[in-house]
Amino acid sequence: MSLSWILRRLLLIVYTVFVVSVLVFGITQVLPADAAVTLLGENATADALAAIRDRLGLGDPIWMQYLRWVGHAVTGDFGLSMRTGQPVGPEMVAALGRSLLLAFAAIALMLVVAVPLGVVAAVRQGKLADTLTSLVSYLGVAFPEFVTATLFAMLLADTLQWLPATGYVSPFEDPWGAVRHLALPVLTASVILVAHVSRMVRSETLDVLHSDYVRAARLKGLPERTVLTRHALRNALLPVVTIVALDVGYLLGGIIVIEEIFAIPGIGRQLMVAITARDLPSIQAGALIMSATYAVANTLADVAYAFLDKRIRYD
Amino acid sequence: MIPVTRRLFLSGTAAAVCALSSGTVLLGPASSALAQTAAPKRGGVLRISVDQAASVIHPLRTRVNPEYLVAELLYSGLTRLGPEMTAEPDLAESWSPDASLTEWTFTLRPGLTFHDGSPCTAKDVVATFTAILDPKTASPARTNVGPIKEVVARDDRTVLIRLQSPFADLPVTLAYTNARIIPAAVIEGDLDSLSRTAIGTGPFKLVSFEPDRKIVVERNPAYYDPARPYVDRVEVLVYPDRTAEASALISGDTDLMMATAPGEFQRLGKASGVKALRVPSGQFLNVNMGCDQKPFSDVRVRKALALTIDRDAMVGFVAGGYGTPGNDSPVSPAYHFHKEMPLRKADVAQAKKLLAEAGYPNGVDLTLIASDKPGTRTDLAVAIREMAKAAGFRIQVQTMPHATYLDQVWKKGNFYVGFYNMQATADAIFSLLYTSDAAWNETRWNNTAFDALVAEARTKTDEAERQALYAKAQQLMHEEIPSVIPVFFDLLAAQRTYVQGYGLHPRGSVFRLDFVSLGADAPKRG
Amino acid sequence: MTDLLRRLVRTPQGAIGLLLLLVLAAVCLFGPWLAPQDPEKIDFLGRFRPAGAENWFGADQLGRDVLSRLLVGARSTIPMALAATLLGTVIGSVVGTASAYLGGRWDEAIMRTIDAVMAVPGLLLALLLVSTLGNGATNAMVAIAVAFAPGMARVTRSVALNVRNQDYVKAAIVRGERGSWIVFREMLPNVMAPVVIETTIRVSFAVMLFATLSFLGLGAQPPASEWGLMVADARQYVHQAPWILIAPSIAIAVTAIAFNLLGDGLRDAMNPRNER
Repeated sequence: MSLSWILRRLLLIVYTVFVVSVLVFGITQVLPADAAVTLLGENATADALAAIRDRLGLGDPIWMQYLRWVGHAVTGDFGLSMRTGQPVGPEMVAALGRSLLLAFAAIALMLVVAVPLGVVAAVRQGKLADTLTSLVSYLGVAFPEFVTATLFAMLLADTLQWLPATGYVSPFEDPWGAVRHLALPVLTASVILVAHVSRMVRSETLDVLHSDYVRAARLKGLPERTVLTRHALRNALLPVVTIVALDVGYLLGGIIVIEEIFAIPGIGRQLMVAITARDLPSIQAGALIMSATYAVANTLADVAYAFLDKRIRYD
Repeated sequence: MIPVTRRLFLSGTAAAVCALSSGTVLLGPASSALAQTAAPKRGGVLRISVDQAASVIHPLRTRVNPEYLVAELLYSGLTRLGPEMTAEPDLAESWSPDASLTEWTFTLRPGLTFHDGSPCTAKDVVATFTAILDPKTASPARTNVGPIKEVVARDDRTVLIRLQSPFADLPVTLAYTNARIIPAAVIEGDLDSLSRTAIGTGPFKLVSFEPDRKIVVERNPAYYDPARPYVDRVEVLVYPDRTAEASALISGDTDLMMATAPGEFQRLGKASGVKALRVPSGQFLNVNMGCDQKPFSDVRVRKALALTIDRDAMVGFVAGGYGTPGNDSPVSPAYHFHKEMPLRKADVAQAKKLLAEAGYPNGVDLTLIASDKPGTRTDLAVAIREMAKAAGFRIQVQTMPHATYLDQVWKKGNFYVGFYNMQATADAIFSLLYTSDAAWNETRWNNTAFDALVAEARTKTDEAERQALYAKAQQLMHEEIPSVIPVFFDLLAAQRTYVQGYGLHPRGSVFRLDFVSLGADAPKRG
Repeated sequence: MTDLLRRLVRTPQGAIGLLLLLVLAAVCLFGPWLAPQDPEKIDFLGRFRPAGAENWFGADQLGRDVLSRLLVGARSTIPMALAATLLGTVIGSVVGTASAYLGGRWDEAIMRTIDAVMAVPGLLLALLLVSTLGNGATNAMVAIAVAFAPGMARVTRSVALNVRNQDYVKAAIVRGERGSWIVFREMLPNVMAPVVIETTIRVSFAVMLFATLSFLGLGAQPPASEWGLMVADARQYVHQAPWILIAPSIAIAVTAIAFNLLGDGLRDAMNPRNER
């Protein structure tokens, strides 16, 4: 892990953000039905439309709008929302914070559940525990979030009344309330993750258990427990770092639905609202911030991987 | 106070006699009926949930019910709409028309102030109406506040409104959701600043505004009525999912729901500590037909379609049973000038015959367009497709996003599903949708006899005369069917039982939360 | 091929997956004939009728038979997901192979750009694309295909690069085998295997993504009986009639499971080395 390698990774993030900015800006330019129409709804007269378009500055050539946007965006100024008239940047960053809270909680829950599940399944390969784990993982990846969310809400919020069905409480205002309100969304988000990661952990552990050096360790007469913890686990869990980073991408997509259903004002829901309202500055800022977050998560995972596994050479 | 009869009040012109001396505790006649206890308890935080974001708080530009709610908390109009669809005094304490009904004088309450402490005078009223009538402001009120020619300040407390034509309903019309008085200084300075801040004369002041999550307002101590509002704070919470919204009320996270769906209504009714609210309304779904194009230019085709519909069943299909059948006139039983007519029964044989007479013996192929919001539009379209099948209508249902619909189909299309809120008066709904010069003349029916009836009713103050004219207008719509109106929705909502003084308003966009108080058993918050 | 099929059926995943898919294929092909009732027929008295003799899976808010709508709706759900994945695979394979073929700086530039595009979460990319193209089933299909393409490109490229450098390919060249023999008997099956496996598993993602888009109101439009849309419609009646929601949810899950099982079965069948 050399300095130049890290520099290269940082450059890649910049390139990624550049490509995404062009992509997102391009898409928002060709969106049909502009914000003026959606904003005015049934009261859109020609005069009113012209007045609003004028106010929103929708008249300039595209490249000029892009340059102006990028110029402002690097300073953190993403303009004013067409829908609410509020500055978009701070709104989106605050929303990202709420989403990250949800995402981190989901990943933490996933690690606590999925890793032991996967390891046990691998060690007890072919036994009942293994079969059950793979059953759970097949079911887990098969239900889309909007189904799991609805079913969980029905069971835990409406029937048993253990948890509030929806809404967001800031952990700074009311920590216990925040935990209760986050429980259902976190549970929903972690289902697919648990299913996915436990399978990965199982297969990685199996690979390692069948590897030459584990066989060698066994031949040396080391107790099975030592073989498992000292040799197998460490190597099996390394790739999980990468998988988790990849799953952040899935998570950021999946939370769009989860936040929509559980009314969490995170970046996913803000984006959904922005897309429905054709609120271009919000779409641009939201998509860019979300993608940049993912790129950073991936880089961090790579760095962590390299750091943990000194045997890997990077050139 | 001079005693006024209910009838007079309902006509909307009675306010001439509704002079209130200054210093009196101003409780409208209807509001005192609403309050359940003699002395409502003061204090507490009221949490009301809404089902979509209140993204626009600019009072002249609000468009949807949650936004109307916030604007109503923060701002006042000249008049406000009472529970019986009458005009009640708001900033204006009294008003009177001249004999020709073309010049109205409004007298403001003394000592009115905006939230920033500056006085609210006739000058602000004039500036507000000038802004509303300016197309550049893009206010929906422009076409909905009546035929105003000019607004003049005679002195600090007297406003003169001159009209282009006689208009008896002006006081009710001025209670329109977007006709809120704002400071002249803001209009001259930065009018758009009201998208982020609020300077009104309403019962509450803006504390925080997060459009997609939570809007908080607190008591305005300088409100013109020292008794109201009763609660210290109102929190408007956004729940985009209706099921979740109902669950929040049941679990006690919220105190009041602005509206709910038939699917949730039963559950809410059964929950303990919850009172389900229901009021018949004039909110309706209709099928608009382009009366200037084939095949709907032939009244027999329109009548044939109207004859295929089982209206009682339709109330079940699209309103979940919570509604009243419609008779192809938009003036529902909830309106003051509603005329009872025998309900049109489904008669497929007659429909087939009419269709054949109109030149379609082998049936007719049509595409019925429904926007995706609200979802009941598609339900109506599908139900009509199935009901009309037997008479030879081969209908294809096409759903599209609301924005696309507004852009491409609404007011332009030949055959589509419309959805409208109840208006304050029969005149308002007729001149919004069905007269030749209607703001949204989507059916292009252009019936001169109908136009004449509506125009004449505007100039009359006599109750019986108006009743007769509006009855004829409704009869005409029932016979000519510019649009099929098969069902009116009841408005549904729910509250915790400790919420007092709240009445579900049939207009759907009026809330009057300044009359609401919390009972002794309400949870303590903040 | 028959050899592969035999090995596939021998794995439990492969056998169950194949069986489920045959059933689903039958439903897609013959759904309208299998449906016990007209899926569009409304029935005033049958609104929210629970599952029973009249409606095996119950009836919805308009009294329509849920089972019949499911059977007919398979056509607007599964083939769309399949088409989206195949289209994504084709686009991805072309780009991936081209990148591997061009090599050097071009390869670097293409792959870095693909990495960048992949930083946009799939659902978000699909959402943006559908809003641009306009809501609807076909546009949702295209959007999913485009969202899948970068991932497929990466897989194809790495596999193509790998296979070219494999010993058995080099050995075949040394043996003096004909070029076509090398390409078809040695390279193609080995390039195809990971791509086919990846594609199969991705179909299950596509089914869910498509359902999600419809759920968000951007995919199939009512009154279609696409499964995701059926779930979305049913949500508001979930306390009144949960079966309208549960039936299509299970249908989506079964489809996703079927493709996942088949993918896993194929992986084992194509990679005898991995049998354990």
